[in-house]
Amino acid sequence: MDFSLNEEQRHWQSEARRFSDEEVRPISLARDQIADPRATFDWDIIKKGSKLGFRTLAVPKEWGGHEADFVTQTLVMIELARGDSSVSKTFSQCWKWSHLVAASCTKEQKERFLKPFMEDDGFLLGKGGTEANAGSDNRMPPENDPKAGWKLRAERDGDDWILNGSKMFIANGSVAKLFFVDARTNPDVGIRQGTTMFIIPKDTPGFRIGKVFNKRGWRFYQNGELIFENCRVPNSSVMGEVNGGVKARANDKSEFGDIELAANALGICEDAVGMAMHFAKTYKRAGKYVIDHQLVQLKLNEMYMLTEALRSFVLRTAWERDRKLPDVGNNVLVMNYSQEVVQRVTKANMEIHGPEGCMMHARVDKLIRDALVWTHLAGDTVQRVKVVKRLPDMPLPM
Amino acid sequence: MYDLQLTAEQIEFRDAVRDFVTQEVQPAAIDPKRLEPFEKPLMTDFLDQLSQMGLRGLALPEAAGGAGADLLTCCVLLEEIAAGDVDLAMVLGETALLARAVHDAMNDSQRKRWWPKFDAGERFHLALIARDDDAELGWSYHHAVPADADVIGAPEVVAERDGKGWTINGLAPFVSNAPVAGLFIVQAKIANGSGTVTLLVGRDTKGLSIDDDLPAFGGGGERSRWHHGAMAAVTLKDCKVGEEDVLAADAAHRLLQGLVARRSIQTAAVNVGVARAAYEAAVDYAKMRWQGGAYIVQHQAIGMKLADVAIQLEAARALTMKAAWITDHPEAVSERSVNDLPWHVVARTFTAQSLHRATLEATECFGAMGVMRDMPLQKYVHDTLVLQHSADCDLASPLTVAEAVAGYSRS
Repeated sequence: MDFSLNEEQRHWQSEARRFSDEEVRPISLARDQIADPRATFDWDIIKKGSKLGFRTLAVPKEWGGHEADFVTQTLVMIELARGDSSVSKTFSQCWKWSHLVAASCTKEQKERFLKPFMEDDGFLLGKGGTEANAGSDNRMPPENDPKAGWKLRAERDGDDWILNGSKMFIANGSVAKLFFVDARTNPDVGIRQGTTMFIIPKDTPGFRIGKVFNKRGWRFYQNGELIFENCRVPNSSVMGEVNGGVKARANDKSEFGDIELAANALGICEDAVGMAMHFAKTYKRAGKYVIDHQLVQLKLNEMYMLTEALRSFVLRTAWERDRKLPDVGNNVLVMNYSQEVVQRVTKANMEIHGPEGCMMHARVDKLIRDALVWTHLAGDTVQRVKVVKRLPDMPLPM
Repeated sequence: MYDLQLTAEQIEFRDAVRDFVTQEVQPAAIDPKRLEPFEKPLMTDFLDQLSQMGLRGLALPEAAGGAGADLLTCCVLLEEIAAGDVDLAMVLGETALLARAVHDAMNDSQRKRWWPKFDAGERFHLALIARDDDAELGWSYHHAVPADADVIGAPEVVAERDGKGWTINGLAPFVSNAPVAGLFIVQAKIANGSGTVTLLVGRDTKGLSIDDDLPAFGGGGERSRWHHGAMAAVTLKDCKVGEEDVLAADAAHRLLQGLVARRSIQTAAVNVGVARAAYEAAVDYAKMRWQGGAYIVQHQAIGMKLADVAIQLEAARALTMKAAWITDHPEAVSERSVNDLPWHVVARTFTAQSLHRATLEATECFGAMGVMRDMPLQKYVHDTLVLQHSADCDLASPLTVAEAVAGYSRS
């Protein structure tokens, strides 16, 4: 076995580390502490990171991107998340959808949408699936209820489609310039058969952003409401085929979204471990350095053990995707695992720091709040249950 | 025998508080307009109304105008208040705790001067400024506490004798109830002497100043506020207190004895209230939310979470009530009916650990809404975290139980 990184991977890792330490981390806490959820975002950091290639990292070279492999993408996410988890997520959210564009858009659509994305440092991508009454149902449509899932309606009108409805909690909602939107084009069948995916620029008439959600963690990251009121979209903006939206998504075999959350969690863990170690070696309790207490030694051991186990699992999974090995569900398992790891590690960091009178170290608090988000994304029960269908009869050797 | 049967009177009182909390307090506490901002000002109107219902004097003897409740009853009521708002419960719990102790410690003339003021205004709360010698005890496991051990946030107050009385100087950076206290019980080191003196210091005393409430983020954003109730720094600058406001030494000793343990048990009850609010919200939502072709409560995955939360909640409540009952019946320990353990630590740590996990599980039932600040779930999670990392409950706290088991004694 060979765990070494190649030159290109090391290059991106060190670029990301430098950007994370010098640019991201210094703004992280201040952004977290802005009360208005629309005001936490910082275009400056996005544009700086974009100039360094982080926004377009996953786009194929043919279209002017860096076509970084999954191991590289993973390394960059870890480094950025160590500076700020939600800044890392804002960049990687664009990679997620550039995988989709590469897999499912026509050449004409790439010309129309990918080109401006490549040229504009402030061009972010988003995708609208979730609705107020359609969350788990989109991920795992129930067999006994074909009406379940998103309700946003698209109806044909000549060469166009007319969209009506709304989407909730959409990532990059208030900042993206282009969205991929799931709509029902046949309401009489289940969403797998009756969904069409539309590519919709932000300034399309009839489309607007509603509420921006105010979250406990990931405060920099923007989750918005997308509202469609007689929004007219040309048929040429359908991704893949009419009623083939779910298939268009399935063409993207990268399973990137799962590795993404696991890699991001690893960045938070590294941050927490570093903070805990520094604190334990610097401060005293009851006359001894904190690290000289067995209690703390055991906690530090647990933090390192979990973090290193997650690192191995994340990078192995990225490596498997790069080699296009059979998908045996590892990408989902590592994502589920990352929830437990990131929450235990950030909590251990808190236990080592302890309360300071009636205050808590603000970054310790932030990491816990960011980790809370994993309960509602990566480790949620639907994801855990759903993957079971993909698991082999017994674990396969690599 | 250990008896959890409440009297008709206790049930009536509990239900009156529960009704008020359910109808008035909780809807206001979880209003998105209150949930979303970082700053959460104390809901003083409700504090006053709960005070009018007699909650400040909950543990005071009936002869002193109180409700004469034992600790177990206090816990039952604090759980009810905390299910609506954790801060109200902590403020009232602290005043009720101190009222019982200080009323007992005062002499007749002190009572005659101070108690009419306590009775007259419902906004007259009590606050204690004293070093807690047991803070961080677990970190000195099987060792004497080092003389120079620095406890972060401990008050530094000195009193100097000056003819007719005392002059007090010092700073207490974190004083529970300071923003609403009418009377401060201040334990100060005696200048140019040994030992301490405990004084009654009115809010209006010249030289006593109370800072604003702690901001959500302090120290230039380096610190997050991490407490419940009402909290502020108190500065004492050349405060003059007459000899008549000095508590007798043995009375002062009695006042502080057992206070930390009682407070911890009350805090465990508050913790149960917070987790109960999360649990009740999750049950309601699971019965209402339709996904996966069923009400989500019908899915095994959700059912198991709710069962686990219910089990943790009942176990924590049982342990909290047991600890309170033992405190009310010390003979149960001396006559060997129950083990001799620091029951406040047992109840407090178990409750804090199990209910943080339970609250996270309750929150997961809400999907993405669990992290949204306009919904109460994320606040419940935070509240249980704060309860798990406080002065009387941290990583090392359980070690005091191990010391008791081993029969280790510092003296």
